[in-house]
Amino acid sequence: MTSTAGRLIGQSVPRVEDPAILTGQGRYVDDIQLPRMLHGVFLRSTVPHGRVVKLDVEQATSMPGVIAVLTGSDLAPRTHTMQSAIPVPGLARPRYGPMTMDRVRYIGDPVAFIVAESRNLAEDARDLIDMDVEQLPPIAGAADALDATLPPLFDDMTSNVLFKDKRTMGDPAAAFEAADHIVRERFRTQRVAPCPMECRGGVADYVPGDDTLTYYAGTQAPHAVKAALVNALDHPAERLTVITPNVGGAFGQKAMFAREDVTVAAAAKRLGQPVKWIEDRIENLVSATHARDEELEVAAAVSSDGRVLALDVKVVLDQGAYSLTLPPTTFTAQMRAILPGPYKIDNIGWEETIVVSNKASYGFYRGPWAAETLVREVLLDRIAQTVGRDRAEVRRVNLVSLEEQPRVTGAGTTVEGVQAVKAFERALKSAGYAELSDRRAEAGKRGKLLGLGIATYLEPAPGPSSYWTAIGMPMPGERAVARLELNGHVTISTSQAPHGQGHETTLAQVAATELGVSMASVRVVYGNTETTPFSVMGTAASRAATMATGAVLHSTRAMKAKILAMAGEMLEINVEDLYIAEDAVSPKGSPDIRIPLGDLAQAAWFAPPAGMEPGLRTEWHFEEPKGGWSGGTHVCIMEVDPLTAETAIIRYLVVEDCGQLINPAIVDGQIRGGVAQGIGQALYEQAPYDTDGSFLASTFLDYLLPTAMEIPTIEIEHLDSEPLHEVDYRGVGEGGMIAAPAAVLNAISDALHGAPLSELPILPSKLADLIDKLDTNVGSL
Amino acid sequence: MSVAITITVNSVERQLEVSERQSLADFLRQELQLTGTHLGCEHGVCGACTVLVDGASSRSCLMLAAQADGTHVTTIEGLAQHGELHPVQRGFLDCHSFQCGFCTPGFIMATVELLREIPAPTESEVRAALSGNICRCTGYQSIVQGVLHAAEELK
Repeated sequence: MTSTAGRLIGQSVPRVEDPAILTGQGRYVDDIQLPRMLHGVFLRSTVPHGRVVKLDVEQATSMPGVIAVLTGSDLAPRTHTMQSAIPVPGLARPRYGPMTMDRVRYIGDPVAFIVAESRNLAEDARDLIDMDVEQLPPIAGAADALDATLPPLFDDMTSNVLFKDKRTMGDPAAAFEAADHIVRERFRTQRVAPCPMECRGGVADYVPGDDTLTYYAGTQAPHAVKAALVNALDHPAERLTVITPNVGGAFGQKAMFAREDVTVAAAAKRLGQPVKWIEDRIENLVSATHARDEELEVAAAVSSDGRVLALDVKVVLDQGAYSLTLPPTTFTAQMRAILPGPYKIDNIGWEETIVVSNKASYGFYRGPWAAETLVREVLLDRIAQTVGRDRAEVRRVNLVSLEEQPRVTGAGTTVEGVQAVKAFERALKSAGYAELSDRRAEAGKRGKLLGLGIATYLEPAPGPSSYWTAIGMPMPGERAVARLELNGHVTISTSQAPHGQGHETTLAQVAATELGVSMASVRVVYGNTETTPFSVMGTAASRAATMATGAVLHSTRAMKAKILAMAGEMLEINVEDLYIAEDAVSPKGSPDIRIPLGDLAQAAWFAPPAGMEPGLRTEWHFEEPKGGWSGGTHVCIMEVDPLTAETAIIRYLVVEDCGQLINPAIVDGQIRGGVAQGIGQALYEQAPYDTDGSFLASTFLDYLLPTAMEIPTIEIEHLDSEPLHEVDYRGVGEGGMIAAPAAVLNAISDALHGAPLSELPILPSKLADLIDKLDTNVGSL
Repeated sequence: MSVAITITVNSVERQLEVSERQSLADFLRQELQLTGTHLGCEHGVCGACTVLVDGASSRSCLMLAAQADGTHVTTIEGLAQHGELHPVQRGFLDCHSFQCGFCTPGFIMATVELLREIPAPTESEVRAALSGNICRCTGYQSIVQGVLHAAEELK
């Protein structure tokens, strides 16, 4: 057992965040009101591609209540242009400014920033701007981007292809030669919008007298936003602070700074007053990041018993117009690295093409690589059909068993500590897989088609170092700082920036358990670049469970050692004979002798022992441990009504393998939230662009987020596991969203007697077509 | 252009001038600094802005402040009494109902109305009644649990 198995670990402790949130005292970016604060709104392009030939802001500027109207030309002398930050060989990295100087490249591209005394006035003034855009033919999607006859969107590129790469891992050619069958499919996933309930925004507070800039950002990564603003504005880093208040969800959309942040900060500097920007939902849907706009052509080389000898994948990713700081090759690298999942897939042919287009940027969204699970799990069902074997059997022959680990996959990642087989078998058992035909018959009597879909996945949470090598990024460590306060309580400072994950609670559980104190004696602080350790990632990539926990555990352990050392000095007792309980240090066996931590803290601050610095402070840099994969199996049982094409999820079951749980309620909440988003992608959500470049989902009337009536009860079972490392908590933030689309698609396909489905979303109209094609008599099912 | 209104918010009566075109949500948030009511879409779909107007759940983003003249408005800030959480807030706390918290005030106000009208709802009734509130974080199950738990408490 690990030493962290203690009173609070594994307890669904109520969240310390909740009393404020539940009483309306949360403080989100739009809740921040500063004296003399101005409001800014963006004028954005309403055409996908064009040249701004006229931008007359005079009427707007002279409207009462309007302070200034900034354009790209105003910003250019005050800001540096940007590009994606990692020089990946072969990747084009076009430069762009915070606002365009002349060319607009997507509907929503910011053209001007109107600052006024109120948001309403700024919006009124926006209507007075006279903008003429000479429209240019749009690069409406990947097909246009790959058409070499069409001009490049960026002057510093010679085409609209950002990156092309082709590589083999193992010997796929030989595998395809030797294959008994080759199973092929083309997949198309739709663009989706992450849609956190809180839109993006920021408040820039600039004090001209001392050149200090404080930026309140709804972000997942305050230090990254600071770095971006320092670089873009040339603002002295020692005079720039980013503060993250409560954040109303992000899911990856707030993982990188936004171009708009630079404009807002530049405006505050120019005007010497606080400037607030909050986008509205239309802007969020139209101009914030999208995700999952991919086309994949996949082939599997298969033996007669269903073993996957090789996979060949050709993926085209439409990145939209502007690249994020983290280059778009990150997305495809992740897909490639995780493609084998927990299966014995040793030979991979991989071809990727990343293009620009006149669309909003493709950004991070919960499990950005999820296409790999979709194509693999759908293909496994097709393989089963092709070789005439049960699809559970086909998965069994391909899954990596625990005994075969550690095992290096075809993608070069090491699979270790992965209980995929156990999770798979448990899921099938719990779902009643063996009784499926009975259930189908029963549903048939009620006139329904019933299907069961399976999806098994692996997610790097945070992933072993071999995974990070495979995606070409150094594995970032994580720091935490522990400080003993004057009253003997402990403040833990983390570089995480939670936006719903409950880190203030879970990390306090870890610290309090390690120290032997109550939750009330620990405070977790985050979000202020002045007082938190530097981290470019913040809260992303499902790393907190392992990395932040590890950093907090070890810094707290070091704090405990310092406390006991000091108490040992004061009591003249060996530290091994001391322990902490009831917020005091006592000798073992003599609980009546106590040094309250408050007393010890006072001594530490005011009269430290010789050689010790005042106060007790520890810091820990935690590097990744072994293993680091979470995963499991989802099973979705659906009914399809052949008369109406309506679908209903009868059961949704997750068997999760994520190691030890700090706070089970929080873990399960993450899983269910992810599954809900996956169901949304499978059945309801789409953020499409038309072939002429128009955007078709600018409000919630078009972009359908699932409600409480669309999301079913989601059953979750957790596996126990043998820890590979003391810090055996692994992330679960993304898994729900990764596996659910595949589970739902496979369930519907199964309901339709294996009808091939390879596009998302699965809309009722599409289902109706497939049902019509079914050669079936419903009454005889 | 402004209009004089009398409005009682969380039991405090106020008489003041409001801009004709200011939404009730903006009025509450900006003029009264009651920022617990949130704006998720400003087009009446997500329910984050839900408040009670004379006891009935209302989308404050779709109402004008002027339309609230003569009404009693209850916002999230008006629920807890003397530091004691309302049973709905208590139920949600106990059941880990929320994550980022942005949709939360809207859900709580909608739930207060629901449990007043249907004191012992079934899970289906809860899901149907709350289908006008969108949550992107939780997948709803923990919210439903919180509502059912609160219903027990209120008995």
